[in-house]
Amino acid sequence: MPFKRIFPAHRRQSTNLFVRCAFLALFLGVAPVAACAQDLIVFAAASLKDALDQNVVSFERDTGNKAAVSYAASSALAKQIENGAPADLFISADTDWMDYLAERKLINSVTRVNLLKNQLVLIAPAKNTIQVKIATNFPLAELLGGGRLAMADPRYVPAGKYGRAALQTLGVWDSVKNRIAPAENVRAALALVSRGEAPLGIVYRTDALADARVRIVGEFPPNTYPPIIYQAALTARSVHPEAANLLAFLSSAEGRAIFRKYGFQN
Amino acid sequence: MLALTPVEAEALRLSLRVAFWSVAGSLPFAVLVALLLARIDFPGKSLLDAVVHLPLVLPPVVIGYVLLIFLGRHGPLGEMLENVFGIVVAFRWTGAAIAAAIMAFPLMVRAIRLSIEGIDRGLEAAAGTLGAGHVWIFFTVTLPLAMPGVITGVLLSFARSLGEFGATITFVSNIPGETQTLPLAIYTFTQVPGGDAQALRLSVIAVLLSIAALIVSEIIARRAIWRVRGHDIKY
Repeated sequence: MPFKRIFPAHRRQSTNLFVRCAFLALFLGVAPVAACAQDLIVFAAASLKDALDQNVVSFERDTGNKAAVSYAASSALAKQIENGAPADLFISADTDWMDYLAERKLINSVTRVNLLKNQLVLIAPAKNTIQVKIATNFPLAELLGGGRLAMADPRYVPAGKYGRAALQTLGVWDSVKNRIAPAENVRAALALVSRGEAPLGIVYRTDALADARVRIVGEFPPNTYPPIIYQAALTARSVHPEAANLLAFLSSAEGRAIFRKYGFQN
Repeated sequence: MLALTPVEAEALRLSLRVAFWSVAGSLPFAVLVALLLARIDFPGKSLLDAVVHLPLVLPPVVIGYVLLIFLGRHGPLGEMLENVFGIVVAFRWTGAAIAAAIMAFPLMVRAIRLSIEGIDRGLEAAAGTLGAGHVWIFFTVTLPLAMPGVITGVLLSFARSLGEFGATITFVSNIPGETQTLPLAIYTFTQVPGGDAQALRLSVIAVLLSIAALIVSEIIARRAIWRVRGHDIKY
């Protein structure tokens, strides 16, 4: 092997020293990272983005513990947990996906709580000034014109499922079911309307409040869709000592106040 | 068991359609750009080379996002297309084809460029001395000699277009029958409870399709090399 050619004797000492120093620096660099405790990992429904971010900041300020939050559709998160993702806390936008994990014994059922409520609204880009009275057989298809109705995918994302249920109850689902732009999660649907790509969209009230470039043009009567209940639970495999504290914080007066500020109800 | 459900058949048909048009639409541009990069030196050549290769190294979501900004209904290009030509690409299979074409473009250019660079320029010079003009030389000497690279580029980019996901889902969403190509359908099935079996079936189809495309590419390329050089590539 060309070791002797690459490292001739007169160079070997300095090279040796260099290599040793490099390894030392590497270990010194890596050691602090390895010594740090793992951050809490939270998997949360996409619609919780702004409110939960602020809650996590308050939690860190109060207790000194950090949490990393992954936001996505509750369906995507549940599937990831099923496949072994290392989440400590799961917050779902509907009970179906929490049940899905409970059936597979992937959550700590004792810790399961109802956390928040929300409402469904119809939105349009901010410069559109229409008002829509949402009632049975309201002319949604005509209002769409040539465009598509942006909503979270009605097959599996909670926001989409609630939306489809509402449209079915109102008798307009068949007229628009081929005119949907299914989005990966409710925030993606919000972005489509915000950007003007879709003339109308169905999102949670809290999402509409979070984006100044959309306005609420109609509210779905609560009796047209199942109650929107966000549930939270610790995962079965979580061993992080602070996970239970975070859940307690979110349910506490301070946590609830922050959620209420963003438009959620308790 | 072997028959496809309507949803699966639709995803497959849409994938093939999108991939075909993505390749057909980008081929003339790819040949032009490959010729430019292979033959001509000009200021900014490295920049063009880098830009052409961007889709290979950028996250596909970025490409999809940029497309959304420019070709969306309110984007500068999108509005022009809609007002002047009446063409809308947002949420349509044409948008999916554009996204796939951009992602596969670098592969096509690389293959064609390599092939053009390998051509004996003496042959082109000889044709010139016999009185042929540049364009005539290109179509009767250069292009036929570069054919193995062109075929490889076409089939590589076809296979890449079949598998395009990130840019497609960001730009044109996931609409069954319109933009839900094979990769998007597989993704959707992985999200639906109990959809894992269908996701697996579609994955198998995707793998078989890609293998078929690559094998055909290899066979046609070798036959083209045989015709062009009179012998196999080995010697």
